[in-house]
Amino acid sequence: MHADIEDYFLNPPPGSAAMRAAEFGIDLTLTLEHLRLTPEERIRKLVSFIEEIAKLQESVRIIGPTNARVEQHH
Amino acid sequence: MPVLSNIIEAPLRLLGEYRVDCVIVGGVAAAIHGSLLLTNDLDVCYSRDPANLDRIAAALQSAHARLRHTPEGIPFILDAETLKRGLNFTFTTDIGDLDLLGEVRGVGNYKDVLSNSITVELFGHHFAVIDIARLISAKRAAGRPRDLIAIPELEAIQQAQALAKEKS
Repeated sequence: MHADIEDYFLNPPPGSAAMRAAEFGIDLTLTLEHLRLTPEERIRKLVSFIEEIAKLQESVRIIGPTNARVEQHH
Repeated sequence: MPVLSNIIEAPLRLLGEYRVDCVIVGGVAAAIHGSLLLTNDLDVCYSRDPANLDRIAAALQSAHARLRHTPEGIPFILDAETLKRGLNFTFTTDIGDLDLLGEVRGVGNYKDVLSNSITVELFGHHFAVIDIARLISAKRAAGRPRDLIAIPELEAIQQAQALAKEKS
């Protein structure tokens, strides 16, 4: 990737779209990392992330409010 | 239930194998352009040319496509004639969800979406992908919070793409 593009994301110029995105809350270091991949790799990464989230949701077991647990232990 | 790891790849391979004329739009297009926006289905804008409708119908039949958000038992014949009578369809299939759009709000029909699109190679096939400017227009026109939050990052990528073009 061109050094200027890396710099654009890592040090967004004032008033640029990158600066607005950063102010909006986008982590542009992650966007930059994604841009280093090929389109196919980007889709694979997206699907892999969705898969991990689905695994997480399947395995999660909600115990209850943390405060209630603390009270129970004391 | 489709294999999760194939929910985007398998529908894309299907469209490629049946040589469906379409343009990738929506969240997958955003991901291809470099966005980290999450999506879990594939949206394509398709050509309504009769021969293409035949290919789409054949592809969807092979994947046992049925309409999403439709109660069981509602009769639905999946053929080119049905596709011709409708415009935008949301399907669930054995291999993943697939949304077929005859028009993309804020951009237009297949020809409008195709113009200025980019071509990418994915999973052994070539696909047209909506260009980032039109993708941003579509997100803005859709106007849902989930679309609007994608815009700042897409605009940053668009500006970076313009910078790269300028430097090359």
